[in-house]
Amino acid sequence: MKMQESAGHHGITNINRRFIIFVFAFLLFSPDVHTEVWGDEKDDIKKQMQELRQQMESMQKKLEELEEKNRILEEETKKQKEGKEIEKAISEAAPPPPPGGGLRGLVQSLNPDISVIGTFAAAYFTTDNPISHAENDPQNTGINLQEIEVGFQAAVDPYFRLDSFFSFLRNEVEVEELYATTLSLPLNTQIRTGIMRSKFGRINLQHREVQDFVTLPLPVTSFLAEHLNPTGVEFNFLLPLPWFSELSASVNSSNGLETPTFAPSPDANNLGLLLYIAHLSNFFELSDALSLSLGGSFATGSNGTSSTNRSNLYGADLFLKYRPLKYSSSYQEVWLQSEFMYRQAETPEPEGNFNDWGGYVQAIYRFAKRWNTGVRFDFVNTNNNSFVPPPGEEGLFPARKELNYAAMLTFNPSEFSRIRLQYEFDDPSFRSNYSAVFLQFEYSIGAHGAHPF
Amino acid sequence: MKLHKIFQSIALSICFAFLAMTFLLISTEDVSAKVRVVGSIPDFAAIAQEIGGDKVEVASLSKGYQDPHFVDAKPSLILVLNKADLLLYAGLELEIGWLPPLITGARNSKILRGNIGNLDCSTLIPRLLEVPITKVDRSLGDIHPGGNPHYWLDPRNGIAIAKGIAERLKEIDPENASYYDERLGDFVRRLSAKIKEWDEKLAPYKGTQIITYHKSWVYFSDWAGFEEVGFVEPKPGIPPSPSYVADLIRKIQQMNVKLVIEESFYSQKAPDLIAQKAGASLLVLPSEVGGRDGINTYSELFDAIVGEITSKLANHGKG
Repeated sequence: MKMQESAGHHGITNINRRFIIFVFAFLLFSPDVHTEVWGDEKDDIKKQMQELRQQMESMQKKLEELEEKNRILEEETKKQKEGKEIEKAISEAAPPPPPGGGLRGLVQSLNPDISVIGTFAAAYFTTDNPISHAENDPQNTGINLQEIEVGFQAAVDPYFRLDSFFSFLRNEVEVEELYATTLSLPLNTQIRTGIMRSKFGRINLQHREVQDFVTLPLPVTSFLAEHLNPTGVEFNFLLPLPWFSELSASVNSSNGLETPTFAPSPDANNLGLLLYIAHLSNFFELSDALSLSLGGSFATGSNGTSSTNRSNLYGADLFLKYRPLKYSSSYQEVWLQSEFMYRQAETPEPEGNFNDWGGYVQAIYRFAKRWNTGVRFDFVNTNNNSFVPPPGEEGLFPARKELNYAAMLTFNPSEFSRIRLQYEFDDPSFRSNYSAVFLQFEYSIGAHGAHPF
Repeated sequence: MKLHKIFQSIALSICFAFLAMTFLLISTEDVSAKVRVVGSIPDFAAIAQEIGGDKVEVASLSKGYQDPHFVDAKPSLILVLNKADLLLYAGLELEIGWLPPLITGARNSKILRGNIGNLDCSTLIPRLLEVPITKVDRSLGDIHPGGNPHYWLDPRNGIAIAKGIAERLKEIDPENASYYDERLGDFVRRLSAKIKEWDEKLAPYKGTQIITYHKSWVYFSDWAGFEEVGFVEPKPGIPPSPSYVADLIRKIQQMNVKLVIEESFYSQKAPDLIAQKAGASLLVLPSEVGGRDGINTYSELFDAIVGEITSKLANHGKG
């Protein structure tokens, strides 16, 4: 209809129309006309293609980016999972809340560590009147109570700890030690205050239960008595040296002391006649197995014979220990302990001043975990043998020449009990010599004490 | 008057004080950035080294071939503790015979109980064994009222110990917290993989009957699935008497005991006899890092223990 109308309108024949259409088509599709009529279609397509390509490329890029992201994400989750597994392993190992009450509740208390140590000795002397050297040595043939020691030890607070030891005999009690130790003073300082076994030499710091023989060696009994334990304040400095070196200095009152060397001055308020004690202790680890300890001591103070007379006491101590660690049954060890003491004492006229000295050396061999054996030689001597103490009298007298030899064998059924057999030969210059045999029993209960080196 | 003597002694004591002060003043604290960690036994030191890397300096108070119950409280150890920032110990009274006087003598408030530098590793262990449920006394031997202290012989506990050490190191040295965390993760990953490996190696031998010298392998047996049918010690810390050994041999002859295990510091006489009579093999094993040359890490310790046990068990009965 439309065609007819237009044909009618233009008045063109069918043939003509076809021709016109043909020409038109030819014109239209001829390259130049095409270009003129439609513009640069090819360029457009090219452009579009290019755009498409670009789009494709960007898409690909995005895809790659996405893939990368995905990969990273996956990796992260994997890592997280692993982390969680570790976390789980760690948290599984975390401690559960401590069970309250029960036995732990019983064990938990603020009571101090308590220990009781009983030491007895059966003794046989070849003489009717053996010399009583020290208070806690076996005194007579028969069964002797040497000492019952009761200890209470605990931290006072974050700043102090308190150690106390009471020595019981059948009818008397002595405060052997009761001292506080500072725990956190600056400059490597430690202060002890109270009644304490003074740092003079080595054996004076050893309680009976850690000593190696039933009896005390002669120089100790002659100069320090059972032990030197005045009331005082003691400063301990750790010296900044490559080895362990400790300097101790203390100011003490000799009130109540029962030692032959030091006693309170009748002029009680004289600062210069207090008891001053200094000790330097050095420890050298020569090898894993071999250790050496060397010390020097000095004490000076009133000896009680007048308001001005004083005693000076010098000491040197040595401890050598060999304990191979790398072999089976590493409980075998050998140690050597020795001390030498020299005393200067001022006494009133006519006797005047005197000097005396003494020493001991002991060697112990622990040949099995529970067994040890050892020997000791100890002696005292003086430059004033004419000074004879009145019989039965105690006090400051020169230690007259005396020699003592001892041998012992010890069996420790456990760390908490001990049986010790000892033979001793005492050879004084002022009376006939005699022998003694001791069988010592020692038991300890309560808190596990530490073993001092 | 002997007044001059009095003055002499006063002067002397003043001299001493001055001497001491001089020594103290010339002691310049060498400020090292590293955290100083001290272990009572080398295992703790070794784990701390792995967590702390180059940010820490570690030391051990005892040697790996030494009986940890009986270490000499040498004064030289006081010097080590004097400079420590962190003390790691097994607790449960394992070190009661030697560590307390060292801590007191160290004059170092950092490592006192209750302070950050004092870590009782037994508090980290999720499950302690042999915790007495009735009242104990020493007629039972030298027992530990808090439980058996040999817990480092279960490698799973190593993870717990490592975590606890890392926590403390982070508190002491917060600047390097992420470093410690990273190293902890790494250590746990490595140890976990190793535990899997050891588990597989030990799996065929579950239920193996063994005898140990001291009650020091209970954690190991718990992990490995071994059955401990006897101990060479009649009671902890008490050496065996001939009659006890005879009884033990009689008792185990009916059993199928394959291994007698002991540490190198114990006597081999009785264990050897028991192993012979029971048709078992005696194995002297390291129980701590450094227990033998070449064992320098916690993993190497178990490599050695598991390796030796499995190879002994694999060969058992073949000869």
